[in-house]
Amino acid sequence: MPFQPPTRPHSANPGMNPSIFPRTVSSSSVYKHIPSHQQQQHQQNSNQHQHQHQHQIQQHKSSSMTSFGKTSTTEDWEDAWDSSSDKEDDIKATNTNITVNTNTSEPMEISKSVPIPVKIANNNNNYSQYRNGNTNGNGEFSFTPGSGSGSDIISGSGDKEVSASWNSTSYHHVSPPSPIVRPSLLQAKTYTEGAIPPAPGTSIPDSYGGKSNGTGSKLPPGGAWEIVEPSEIREDIQQGDLPIPEKVGKEAVKDDVEDILIDPLKLLSNLSLDAPQTPNSTDPSSSFPFLTPTSSYPQTPSTANSASPDASTSYTILPSTPRTLTRKEGLGRQRSVRTERKREKFGRVLRGRDGGGVELGELRKLAWNGIPEEVRGVVWMLLLNYLPLPVQPRLTTLNRKRKEYTQLVDQYFGRGLASLDQQIWHQIEIDVPRTRPGVALWACVKTQRSLERILYVWAIRHPASGYVQGINDLVTPFFQVFLGAYIDTDPELFDIAHLPENVLQAIEADTFWCLTKLLDGIQDHYISQQPGIQRLVKRMGDLVKRIDAPLAAHFEEQGVEFMQFAFRWMNCLLMREISVKCTIRMWDTYLAEGADAFSQFHLYVCSALLVKYSERLREMDFQEMIMFLQCLPTQLWTDHEIELLLSEAYVLKMVWAGAENHFANLPNGNQGQFGMLGR
Amino acid sequence: MSDETPVKAVQVKLVLLGEAAVGKSSLVLRFCQGDFNENTSPTIGAAFLTQKCRLENRIVKFEIWDTAGQERFHSLAPMYYRNAQAAVVVYDITKAASLEKAKAWVKELQRQANANIVIALVGNKLDLVSESSSTPATVTPAAQETETEGEDGEDDSAEESITPTPATESDDARQVPTAEAEAYAKESGLLFFEASAKTGHNVGEIFTEIAKTIPFDTITPEPATAQTGNRRSAGNHENNNVNLGEGQQAKKGGCC
Repeated sequence: MPFQPPTRPHSANPGMNPSIFPRTVSSSSVYKHIPSHQQQQHQQNSNQHQHQHQHQIQQHKSSSMTSFGKTSTTEDWEDAWDSSSDKEDDIKATNTNITVNTNTSEPMEISKSVPIPVKIANNNNNYSQYRNGNTNGNGEFSFTPGSGSGSDIISGSGDKEVSASWNSTSYHHVSPPSPIVRPSLLQAKTYTEGAIPPAPGTSIPDSYGGKSNGTGSKLPPGGAWEIVEPSEIREDIQQGDLPIPEKVGKEAVKDDVEDILIDPLKLLSNLSLDAPQTPNSTDPSSSFPFLTPTSSYPQTPSTANSASPDASTSYTILPSTPRTLTRKEGLGRQRSVRTERKREKFGRVLRGRDGGGVELGELRKLAWNGIPEEVRGVVWMLLLNYLPLPVQPRLTTLNRKRKEYTQLVDQYFGRGLASLDQQIWHQIEIDVPRTRPGVALWACVKTQRSLERILYVWAIRHPASGYVQGINDLVTPFFQVFLGAYIDTDPELFDIAHLPENVLQAIEADTFWCLTKLLDGIQDHYISQQPGIQRLVKRMGDLVKRIDAPLAAHFEEQGVEFMQFAFRWMNCLLMREISVKCTIRMWDTYLAEGADAFSQFHLYVCSALLVKYSERLREMDFQEMIMFLQCLPTQLWTDHEIELLLSEAYVLKMVWAGAENHFANLPNGNQGQFGMLGR
Repeated sequence: MSDETPVKAVQVKLVLLGEAAVGKSSLVLRFCQGDFNENTSPTIGAAFLTQKCRLENRIVKFEIWDTAGQERFHSLAPMYYRNAQAAVVVYDITKAASLEKAKAWVKELQRQANANIVIALVGNKLDLVSESSSTPATVTPAAQETETEGEDGEDDSAEESITPTPATESDDARQVPTAEAEAYAKESGLLFFEASAKTGHNVGEIFTEIAKTIPFDTITPEPATAQTGNRRSAGNHENNNVNLGEGQQAKKGGCC
């Protein structure tokens, strides 16, 4: 029975193509269609194969040296979240990485460029090696500009000579001093003031930065801290400021959607992070992933073009294929060095080891700190265990899941709208037009129909909860992120009518399954009485009482109940509090945290968010507080504020997770004494 | 009556209840900010707003809890109508089922809320029906222009079982005759209005009328009662400077 799109009595839907759900995508025919530039690139890739092979061998060597590699089996891809404790693995991995690094023997080919300006970030765990090897007691890591050519300095395994400065003031040569300087290390106040944040994902070493802060807390896997110099930040900001060309139609759709459709990881081949020309880009052990001469970094799209010929020789992570360059130009964006670094690392992990699939622990560690836009969709799918980690079952699973969804839609909508569960359908129908009102993408008829189907199919398959308001909000980040993989513009501006039907169908199916995975973790949020939320709000109240007793007391005095504001924080996962862009960044970390992050870690995020405004709240009366809390001044938040919040939440989690028995037995008079963040 | 506060504002806790998408938030938005949006995100939990209302001899400051309409959130409602002095129960005149839901709310309020609570029954979306189609309303049918499209981005389609959609597009979108609702309001002792959040028609009147009806004598002496029952409630924060003491809050924290 061919799928009949539901006919809607109330809204004529001219854009609705009856073939919106073609039964199958003929993968073979699509595979044949390889644009010429793609072929070219394949050619290039195979030329580089030799080189890459070396890397792989070495990677293999390093992985076999370590014991952290959890071999993923293909059986359990079906439904289970992989909630296994990767934390331990992460730590092991971190340590072993350091060892691997020192053992590297591959010579570096970084001679051509002038690596005078050196950028350093401890985003990478490997940096601790250099700390051990090169820093003096003051934590200085000094590099003297002009002291020699790059090959002299960065050569072979001899990193011992490298000296650079941790002092961010030595970075001024990279670009003119920026007028906009955000504090680069505004971190959780709970850490020792003034101490340099320790290597992420590790225990805080006593010797860190010459200071001991002695808390012994672990930092987030992948680390919440990154030393970032002002110029980098300026680039990031500029990136946001640059007008995105308002491509909203067909011209925004990527040329190779069909390839990406079949294998989301295909898009890797379009990214510079796949470019093996850069000698350091594939092998963590042979490079200083965080050392990048920024002088050759393009400041504008036009210079990006002219700089590209050097990409193969200079030690940069420049886009190396024309395809990528065009794309970048089209986007009109600058790629900050930090972003490049990130992309490179993701490329490395996503390509997997020896073709053996993605190492989940490493991926999580990286994702914790934010996922580059280009690979976000695929990384989310991997982290949610929707897309299998090993290469082999990946394509078949994806294909099967998408087909399965199509069948579900068929099954439920096949007999027309009248056959739907009218109570559920009615609620969905009135909420869909109210989802993200004012955003172009969500005003599209086709997007709204997709959203309806996603929500209905989920609701009908989860009768205990059904559709609950707020779930519609949770669909939007997935949809936008997955859509983003196929287009070259801001998804929110995109007119989805220009997307091929099979692509839309795939996005819809992927969104559905990933939403399902997310909601699986918080099902009791939405069942009758919403016990999950009730419990979380209660725990949040208890936690705040411990970490900020004065605020809790003030609430009590004024009659503010947590349920009055925090209910929404839980029900919509803060999506009503922060922008979708920020939500997406936040979910990077949530997904990296693991299966229960949307309830457990979220609790700490909410608490950290509340405590952030403690001082202001304590000067308000009941009305002011409630008004303030339901309209937090977070509209202008960027990823920076989100990352800060996430770090604070992580600290709270480290201290309080599992300690909740203490909550229940608070001695009556003493609550204030234990206040951790209480002022 | 106005013994101590002819000038000072009197706080009134008011709660809005009603089925999803009947226009509760829109009514409040119109009342508090004089604004209207075709599509607003569904309310989750509840939203809180305040607005002052001036009577001849006093100022009434409404603390308005605009609750979420979806049935799933029903369990939160008692928190909001507890200690409320007034309630606005809203239905959509273009949807018969929404009046049934409104009646259920009224029942619940009369059973569980304050004994003195003033309840107003409000039929919203008057702008969607033309004058002719309605049985002459007690309120002036001032909806200037009849709009055929769904007002709050809702009510476009089939109502569940109740009515198989008598085409919303024609003039008689009205499904609840004024007389029927009014009769019900009368027998239940409710104030009654038909209003339009979109045009603003009758919106202010709802709140003014409520303010006039509330027996203020019974709620002005707050300081004494605040100590006992109301501390945790949302209402009655006129007197929140009253020292509620450290000991009390400790008591609450200890339990689970």
